[in-house]
Amino acid sequence: MRNLYGKEWVMKKKVFGVCVLLLTAVFGLSGFGLAEEGVTDTEIHIAQWGPQTGPAAAWGSIPRATGHYFQMLNDEGGIHGRKIVYHMFDDAYNPAKTKAGVKQLQEDVGIFAWVGGVGTACGLAVKNYLMAKKVPWVTPATGSRHWIDPPQKYLFSTFALYSTGAKVHCKYAYEQQGLKRFALAYQNDDYGKAYLQGAKEQLAKYGLKLVEAIPVEFRDTDLKPHVRKLKKAKAQATLICLTPMHAARIVMTGRQMRFNTQWMASSPCSDFPLMYKITKGAWEGVIAATFAELPDSDLPLMKKYRAAYKKYATKEERWGIFYYAGFGFAEPLVEGLKRAGRDLTREKLVSAMEGIRDFKGITGHINFAPFDPKDPWCRQGQDEVFLVQCQKGGKYKVITDWIEIR
Amino acid sequence: MIDFLQIIVSGIAVGSSYALMGLAMVIIYKTTEVPNFVQGEMALISVFLAFMIINSYGAPVYVAFPCALAFAAVLGGFLEFAVLRRAKEPNILSLIVITMGLEMVLMGIVSWKFGADAKTMPFPISPYDSVALGEIFISGLELLTMLTALVLMIAIFLFYRFSKLGVAMKATQQNKVAARLMGIRTNRINLLTWGMSSVVGCVAGLLISPVVMDPYMMWDPMLKGFTAAVVGGMTSLPGSVVGAYIVGVIEHLFGAYVSIEFKSVVAFAIIVLVLCIKPSGLFTRHYVKKV
Repeated sequence: MRNLYGKEWVMKKKVFGVCVLLLTAVFGLSGFGLAEEGVTDTEIHIAQWGPQTGPAAAWGSIPRATGHYFQMLNDEGGIHGRKIVYHMFDDAYNPAKTKAGVKQLQEDVGIFAWVGGVGTACGLAVKNYLMAKKVPWVTPATGSRHWIDPPQKYLFSTFALYSTGAKVHCKYAYEQQGLKRFALAYQNDDYGKAYLQGAKEQLAKYGLKLVEAIPVEFRDTDLKPHVRKLKKAKAQATLICLTPMHAARIVMTGRQMRFNTQWMASSPCSDFPLMYKITKGAWEGVIAATFAELPDSDLPLMKKYRAAYKKYATKEERWGIFYYAGFGFAEPLVEGLKRAGRDLTREKLVSAMEGIRDFKGITGHINFAPFDPKDPWCRQGQDEVFLVQCQKGGKYKVITDWIEIR
Repeated sequence: MIDFLQIIVSGIAVGSSYALMGLAMVIIYKTTEVPNFVQGEMALISVFLAFMIINSYGAPVYVAFPCALAFAAVLGGFLEFAVLRRAKEPNILSLIVITMGLEMVLMGIVSWKFGADAKTMPFPISPYDSVALGEIFISGLELLTMLTALVLMIAIFLFYRFSKLGVAMKATQQNKVAARLMGIRTNRINLLTWGMSSVVGCVAGLLISPVVMDPYMMWDPMLKGFTAAVVGGMTSLPGSVVGAYIVGVIEHLFGAYVSIEFKSVVAFAIIVLVLCIKPSGLFTRHYVKKV
């Protein structure tokens, strides 16, 4: 009797197990199994990293601003009825921390797409991981060529290449100012080397070479030896592709050593009010390339973002170019999400992004094209910058229109 | 030749800020035998306090700076009293680790309170106005830093040599138990030493701050100051100053004639070299403690 009862019990257990499996298969496939990671009926999970501490923390306003942008969109009703759930973490500009944080969020939370992300080295640490998982990543917040060369199906870059900034500087200094002796002080990493390459290419068109190219290490604080070399080379135009802190130091040291040159700075040093303040006015006259509208722009979008800044940002947050760049870098992703429609998948987002033509937010005009593994430019949405010159008090003077050089 | 002289002058100028940090480290080491890695951040928080007094309360520099120096003295004493002295069964290693932990805590406080945006301290002397001796340039701020380092070195040297308190500090370092038996209140000596060292570090910070201020501004001077102290000898005040000038000049010569890329790491190569050849430093006698 006990045996019979035991067999019946075993049988019931088997039938129950099969039923559970069937139910799981049926509901699982129709429901969770087919749903896209990071998307629910009411939410889209988007993430970004950025330095809130460490030597590059000044650029930490970018991911904070993106959060305010998404708050603004959510308050307006979200995208196709879904709110954006934004995940941001501090990687302290340390690629090892970027990698750990991205993996944790991707695998624990399940992120639908990534946006922005400060730091070339930080981005490179996770590029292959995200691409292998086919997770879209829009607008790495750096102008490195690594994002598009070779192009990746799920990676869309809209930050103007650093090499473009260098080319535009050389073109302006040579053609408009008649300068012929160019030198460069560059950060000794991918950021600086991309700029160096751009400067060399553009100068070669005029039959010129850099009279001096000085690498600056991240830990350098005393830049007198660097300035001495630049001065010795009698540079008429000195391009600088450094962190804002190093850029400030080199210009101040130049002033101290009475080195008269036309300083031309890369876009990460285009926050004139900040640069003017920390250099105690020595930044006046510096020309910089910039990738977004100016802080006092009357563009309706800029007015809207300024209102969002006043509403969502803390009182310590400063309205500067690196703050609202956080809005600008997320604009293409939001446009793609809107175009992809309510039935959102990663593949649909990619198709929608590829259909973006002549989109204008607060950065240059953005155009993508269908994926072509042989064409890097299909994933470089925009490559325009314009030049501004620092005036007394850190004010901007626009000296060129938007320029694109490839 | 002009170029070479400019390199030497620039090296000495940059060495002056290392010298001030080196002096601050030596003061604590002379009494407690602890290399103090929170030295830079003790200065950092005091400097930012001065900045806050100027910016938020509109106080002039001559009010804010003495306030910062007074705060530095209290902070140094407080850290010794509240943290270092409480260490259970302390040995040198555990005390070093404590100073490293404090360094992170203080830097975190400054980052949280003041943010990461770079700032500059209002200062009576412009950091980029320079004095020209023919073709050789040196900024007014650098001259002031050099002068301050030399004056402080002499003052502290005389203090250790001729004052009762200074002698008590030296006695505490050489034999704490014997010093206590002689009636020296060694705990109080330690507290005063930390306060004094913190003030010297704060002077270095205040002289660096007109150029640029951020939560990392003291990291490099602290490391270079430590290098200078190791080169000169961790217990020698003149040694740490001369060591700082040696480090500054070698850095500049290396940057000019060998490799500008490795200029800032040459200081650490110097540490290794000195520790291999003369571990007690170039200006101190090697002595062995009897057990």
